[in-house]
Amino acid sequence: MLLLLQYTIIFASVLLLVALGGCFSEHSGVINLGLEGIMVIGSLGGALVMRFFPGLPPFVMVIAVILGAILFGVAYSCLLGVAAINFKADQTIVGTAMNMLATAAATVFVKAMNTAANPNDVSASIQYIEPKKSFLIKIGGFEFNWFMLVAIVGLVVAYVVLYKTRFGLRLMACGEHPQAADSVGINVYKMRWAGVLISGVYGGLGGICYIMVSASEWKFDAGVYGFGFLALAVMIFGQWKPTRIALTALLFGLFRALASVYSGIGFLARLNIPSTVYNMLPYIISLVVLALTSKSSRAPKAEGIPYDKGQR
Amino acid sequence: MDQQYAIEMLNITKRFPGIIANDNITLQLKKGEIHALLGENGAGKSTLMSVLFGLYQPEEGVIKKDGVEVHIKDPNDANRLGIGMVHQHFKLVECFTVLDNIILGVEPNKAGFLQKGEARAKVMALSEKYGLHVDPDALIEDITVGMQQRTEILKMLYRDNEILIFDEPTAVLTPQEIDELMVIMKNLAAEGKSILFISHKLAEIMAVADRCTVLRRGKYIGTVETKSTTAEALSAMMVGRNVNFHVEKKPSKPGDVILDVKNMTVASKGHKKNAVNDVSFKVRRGEIVCIAGIDGNGQTELVYGLTGLEPLSGGTIELCGKDITKAPIRRRSTGGMSHIPEDRHKHGLVLDYTLEDNMVLQRYFEPEFTKMGFLRRKNIRAYAERLIEQYDVRSGQGPVTMARAMSGGNQQKAIIAREIDKNPDLLVAVQPTRGLDVGAIEYIHKQLVAQRDAGKAVLLVSLELDEVMDVPDRILVMYEGEIVGQLDPKKTTQEELGLYMAGAKRDEVIS
Amino acid sequence: MKKLLKNDAFQTLIASLLCIVVGLFLGFIVLLFINPSGAASSIVEVIKNFMHFSSGKLRLKNLGNTLVKTAPLLMCSLSVLFAYKVGLFNIGAAGQYVVGSAVSLYCALALHLNWLLCILLAFVAGAIYAAIVGVLKALCNVNEVISGIMLNWIALYGANTILSNVKEPTSPYTLHITGESPSSLIPSLGLDKLFNNNSYVTIAIPLAIIIAIVILVLLNKTKLGYELKATGNNKNAAKYAGMAEKRNIILTLMISGALAALGGAFLYLSDYEQWSCSQSSVPGMGFNGIAAAFLGGLNPIGSILSSYFIQHITNGGAYVDLTKYSSQISDLISSIIIYLCGFVFFLKYAISSRLEKSEEKRARKAIADHEKGGEE
Repeated sequence: MLLLLQYTIIFASVLLLVALGGCFSEHSGVINLGLEGIMVIGSLGGALVMRFFPGLPPFVMVIAVILGAILFGVAYSCLLGVAAINFKADQTIVGTAMNMLATAAATVFVKAMNTAANPNDVSASIQYIEPKKSFLIKIGGFEFNWFMLVAIVGLVVAYVVLYKTRFGLRLMACGEHPQAADSVGINVYKMRWAGVLISGVYGGLGGICYIMVSASEWKFDAGVYGFGFLALAVMIFGQWKPTRIALTALLFGLFRALASVYSGIGFLARLNIPSTVYNMLPYIISLVVLALTSKSSRAPKAEGIPYDKGQR
Repeated sequence: MDQQYAIEMLNITKRFPGIIANDNITLQLKKGEIHALLGENGAGKSTLMSVLFGLYQPEEGVIKKDGVEVHIKDPNDANRLGIGMVHQHFKLVECFTVLDNIILGVEPNKAGFLQKGEARAKVMALSEKYGLHVDPDALIEDITVGMQQRTEILKMLYRDNEILIFDEPTAVLTPQEIDELMVIMKNLAAEGKSILFISHKLAEIMAVADRCTVLRRGKYIGTVETKSTTAEALSAMMVGRNVNFHVEKKPSKPGDVILDVKNMTVASKGHKKNAVNDVSFKVRRGEIVCIAGIDGNGQTELVYGLTGLEPLSGGTIELCGKDITKAPIRRRSTGGMSHIPEDRHKHGLVLDYTLEDNMVLQRYFEPEFTKMGFLRRKNIRAYAERLIEQYDVRSGQGPVTMARAMSGGNQQKAIIAREIDKNPDLLVAVQPTRGLDVGAIEYIHKQLVAQRDAGKAVLLVSLELDEVMDVPDRILVMYEGEIVGQLDPKKTTQEELGLYMAGAKRDEVIS
Repeated sequence: MKKLLKNDAFQTLIASLLCIVVGLFLGFIVLLFINPSGAASSIVEVIKNFMHFSSGKLRLKNLGNTLVKTAPLLMCSLSVLFAYKVGLFNIGAAGQYVVGSAVSLYCALALHLNWLLCILLAFVAGAIYAAIVGVLKALCNVNEVISGIMLNWIALYGANTILSNVKEPTSPYTLHITGESPSSLIPSLGLDKLFNNNSYVTIAIPLAIIIAIVILVLLNKTKLGYELKATGNNKNAAKYAGMAEKRNIILTLMISGALAALGGAFLYLSDYEQWSCSQSSVPGMGFNGIAAAFLGGLNPIGSILSSYFIQHITNGGAYVDLTKYSSQISDLISSIIIYLCGFVFFLKYAISSRLEKSEEKRARKAIADHEKGGEE
């Protein structure tokens, strides 16, 4: 049971971080369907730190990995910013392209790196068994992961920034009514860029967190299994509000955790449900949840609509 | 040297591709005066104000503030110069509170963290001083349009603006709210604020403005003292000829009942209260019935219920004696109902379709235009060409012009041609003249009367008082989802109409 | 020249070519970055694909292989294109393709049905599966991209489970149809002879092209196309005009899903590939369909060309110097191309508005000259 709790919390942390990323982007008025891709690139950033600096002391390691993931995530989110904000491209196409590009680019890059190090190694994976230990602290039977703390800090920061600061007020105005924001002298393009870049921070963090809790070695040709989209479902069910998103993330985290640990839980194992069902479960649940909540959605009103200063 | 003028716009010229929106226009606003800017739709008022507000850069001309030349490159510059504007379409974030909207852009903060306390105190003081009575913690989406407008006024006052621009501020208000606004404007002027008041409503200008500048088709016509002129003279300046505002029509001869609505109720999307509540009325052949009322009192939902865009939650509708309460839209349309929709871009047209494809939007499935599932392009072209000719719809490339590329007036004409040519028994026309110039308005009013004279039933929904008084044979006033009065346009006055529209007066209406 | 530039189809062509050139160039830069010594020859290999071989016979055979995979890609791109014309982004095409693959393989390997029946059942299954997205969209307002992605994963897990029943005992791959149920193979009707006896070349290829033309006609010449496009452009206007806009959304996705599913059937019923029951990510065919649809300028005929191109470079990826690079360089290039396709509208808009401006200038000058003339 403790294991289930631990997995629930850690998967919820991933979903929370990524969903908060989507939340910032959408509050600024840009739909970020490329979160999946940002996760992949962010995770690559963190994994590279672990691969090239495996000997860092634990605390430094945690910080360095986090920074690596953030840096990569932010850099990658620029692709969305340029296309969606400056060139008014279709945000759906760009997001989709970013997801495909991330996996392809990560694969090509990691393979090239592996082959360069060892001509016989044509895999697209990075392993990080040792560095991973820096992130874990045993508390009794419970394995605390630094990312749980990161997620909580991320949540508090998101809440404070959105609701208590000048920046948050302006950001949300840009997603709701950019013309109104513009008329009081707010630079809508800048705010939207800020929203997208912040989603890069959160997305990158979520990415590295995801691969580190799922395995000790990641094959980058596999992407992140639709987790970016699950996070979007979490965001929608959370009605674009950080606190509600956190609760939803816990719910979704539970279903994802079941897939990992059901065989260790007596009564679930005895039910003899094929593992496929558990694998499908998060996706099915999110479909049901979306069906129930999308009708009365309170999405930012101007999201997905490119802002054009000329059109008034 | 003491300057007489707060703002001077001298010889402003602003061109757009294909049009000179402002041609050598001069406007001088004295300190502490209320100055009206009068002109029809498309006369160049909005462009001129956008220039003043820094949204456009003029090709020629200078702007002076207190006698000193200034360059206004964006709204921030305008703001720094103390210029504020209440836009026609409010620039308010609906899910924010009144206070958040007021401080947006000039938020009091410590290291980026909002300090709303002092802002609240200032807003309350201003609200008190000018008698605005707003609740700073209410959400914009929950308050009335009048209150939203006051929020916009507070936005300007909070920024200590000295020059206040009101763009068509009365269009959305009840006559009583308009009176209150006039008082507020006079208070503001008395406190030394200079006010620019954009309008095409002569009575309001005569009532509140000190001076009035008139534009016509992008050109400067003149500036006059309102004390020494008349509404008629202003009107002649505005349109360049003496327009017959009155619609010529013979007395109506109502025939059989075409539309019979009984106890119609439509649920509201956002609120618990019904948008349309227990409404009954009839429309007969050969009469124009007008639904009047302030925007947002259930007219839109009434039309949606009638035309099938929204389901009814109660009541029945009969069209030509047949019950169509639950009929799908297509059956209502083929059963004799035509609908000129309120929003031509949202409902009336497929903007990325050609004009000819839009012309058959209600009829493409008829055998004339479809055979064995394939479109009969030749017939569609011929039909569109006939309508274009007959209704004088102008466009760049005729039937193959994209609807998006057409002017608003011609888009509306295309819709009217399509809907009238269906030869309906009932024509539902919702704000058919919105945003059009005088010529197009006259044309459309004539078409409505012609339909009536041809024995059709016409249901007109209008927010324009002039239209309400002139066009119909019978007026039904809606207030908060109910019909509160039936008036005879020949016997009533605008004042009486206003009382009904504001809910201050109501009768039990039996149609 | 100006007239040509104004032509929408021409603009699309220019934009697409530009995307391809920039995409290949960026791919080249990546190769250079990884290892400068073989970059040039590798990118040439990607472009050459089957021309890699010197013998004409081998070239034909490999051209055949490219075509075998072009047919399913074309179907996926038609699927995406059709939905997009109606205002829907069917990213679920990938999952519908999986459903089509699974159903056709199961029908062939477990039920030993005739190929036509296998195809039809795949078609129906794809339509039904996509209808879920349609119903969620039309009735519950669920974003079709998110529901599509969820269904992609559900389809993948489902397919792996079902096809485990018909896999080889020692490998994760499904059995060969040739051995199990030859009547389930799509016939080639002599087409194989044209490609040096490449038995994988079947009538699926001409069939896919015919379907592309049918889609073109359906969209542009029929009442249904008129209705569907109206719904896509302005669903409120469609509702106002009495079209059943909810039914249209569902119908569109069903057609779209059926097309993608046919793609799956076309590939797996040729026995060119076997399904791996242990695959952990959704096959890229559906996603590449998105690339092909946009690269083809959202026109079915354009799709035929762009599908071929994308498959051409994807197959070409196998010929890069694998000791230095990976074959996924082709995926990288395709995804760069889709990203660039996001800019196409901007590009076309830029061309048009430039033209308009210069025309405007000339018109104004003409008027000015005229007025001057009048004064004289």
